[in-house]
Amino acid sequence: MNKPVYATEGSIWKSILLTFPMIMLIFIFISGGTPDLSTPEKSIAFLITFLFLTLLFFMILYTGKTDRYRAWGFIAMALFFALTFIVNLIKARGSMTFSQENLLACEIPFCHIVTTMIIIPIALTNSIIFPGSIIGGFASIASMLVIVIGVSFALGRGFCSWGCFYGGWDDGTSRILRKPKIKKINPVFRWVSFAVLLIIALISAMSLNPAYCDWFCPFKTVTEFEKVTSFTVLMKTIVFLSLFVGLVIILPVLTGKRIQCATFCPMGALLSLTNKINPFDVRIDKLNCSNCEKCVKACPTLSLSTNDVTAGRPSITCMKCGKCVDSCSRRAIHYHIKGTPVGKHYSWARNLFLYPAFLLLVLFLGGPMQSGIIMLINLIKTGSLIN
Amino acid sequence: MKKILAIPAYIWAVACFLLVPVTFIKNEAFAEQLAKLPFMKIHPKYKGGELNRSYEHNGLSVKINMPVFAALFGEGNKGFVQVAFSAPAQLPEQIEETIDYNFDNSPDFRVTINTLSGETILIPLDQTVKSLYASSKVKDDWVIRVNLKKD
Repeated sequence: MNKPVYATEGSIWKSILLTFPMIMLIFIFISGGTPDLSTPEKSIAFLITFLFLTLLFFMILYTGKTDRYRAWGFIAMALFFALTFIVNLIKARGSMTFSQENLLACEIPFCHIVTTMIIIPIALTNSIIFPGSIIGGFASIASMLVIVIGVSFALGRGFCSWGCFYGGWDDGTSRILRKPKIKKINPVFRWVSFAVLLIIALISAMSLNPAYCDWFCPFKTVTEFEKVTSFTVLMKTIVFLSLFVGLVIILPVLTGKRIQCATFCPMGALLSLTNKINPFDVRIDKLNCSNCEKCVKACPTLSLSTNDVTAGRPSITCMKCGKCVDSCSRRAIHYHIKGTPVGKHYSWARNLFLYPAFLLLVLFLGGPMQSGIIMLINLIKTGSLIN
Repeated sequence: MKKILAIPAYIWAVACFLLVPVTFIKNEAFAEQLAKLPFMKIHPKYKGGELNRSYEHNGLSVKINMPVFAALFGEGNKGFVQVAFSAPAQLPEQIEETIDYNFDNSPDFRVTINTLSGETILIPLDQTVKSLYASSKVKDDWVIRVNLKKD
């Protein structure tokens, strides 16, 4: 059977035509409508970011490969976010650590993962257990919750592969070895994140303390963490550093899977539930499927098993990264819009998913990438990232 | 029939495409609306509790908050009280105050703060006062939190 071809695949003109609306959106969203070209550094940063994002989207359309080019943007997002976040923290506070003053003043930036820890206390105490600001300032609670709610409705757990500024770390490390050392992982491990969600939500509620942020979040390594002033804080530091090394570096390298995202992120588990309330999913056309299970091997989040292939859909934990879609030589597995027939209208479903998903990537990557490039230019010119 | 059913599905997908930019463009406006909801407030455990009383003493403004005995249900046995010291111009190098946090006309603890080094000495004068939990400059104020235990 011939492999179905996307409408834009291999066609330069069709790809350019469908890239054009995204070019406009990239221009508007990374420049705010008017690009700041007041200095050579800013002009270069804008130009590189604009061209990089445009090229990625064009290549996704032209080659028919989603994950291959998504990953470039997604990994860049994680690296540039960490770079700009850390440099800005050092500028503002003098270090990556936050102090007692920041805690007492409720100045800690709110990240989307905290959402999982505040739900039960909101219901029972009518307040939020986090030392951040409700509104105003950087990463306020209300602002981040609006993004979480909006993106959940739009893309469900697609956020984890297109918008999460942490996910690019283990997505990147999972690609370091061409052939993973550990090949067989029981897909039952994908449910571990739900256990983590449940345990973290309960511990946080009982202690009125965002337990994952306080003790376990491995991404504190690349953002901010508490200043070591006591034995307890030292223990916390050892725990999150160990988890970063283990779950974000070593295990993804050895398995080729996004182990942190798939098994230890409570937000991922929560967003899995929102996969039910948005129109996009991934489906398998069983008539076209040869049961080769390349998609099962490719899935970086353990969301596909033999049983899932038989059922014709990945599990609820699917992050819509597109790696399984890229791996299928018959294009039996494809992006799909709920309510439409499976195995038909591949291009429509893919394009309708790609626009919001890629736009999310643009929105999260655009700012940090431009700032990061300016910092790197300054590093080359002055020898310092902080100017 | 299947084609007709597919139409709302495609409309739903297009609506989701619009939802992503709208979430970001209108983020501030949506956040302001969200912030008005009754649960959008920081828990007293982090905020330090409501202001209970303030007074001037030795050229310092002393603000004593309501004690916080946070628990998921009701009140816990362990808690803290937050006290903030501020001065009209600059905080003095040394702050020495005796605090009656529950206003029973009996001093509960005495605190000595070196505002340059941050060294803080707490002397409990009441059995409900346990230890120092936090002591830090916060903007123009000096804030302390003192651990309490109910009788």
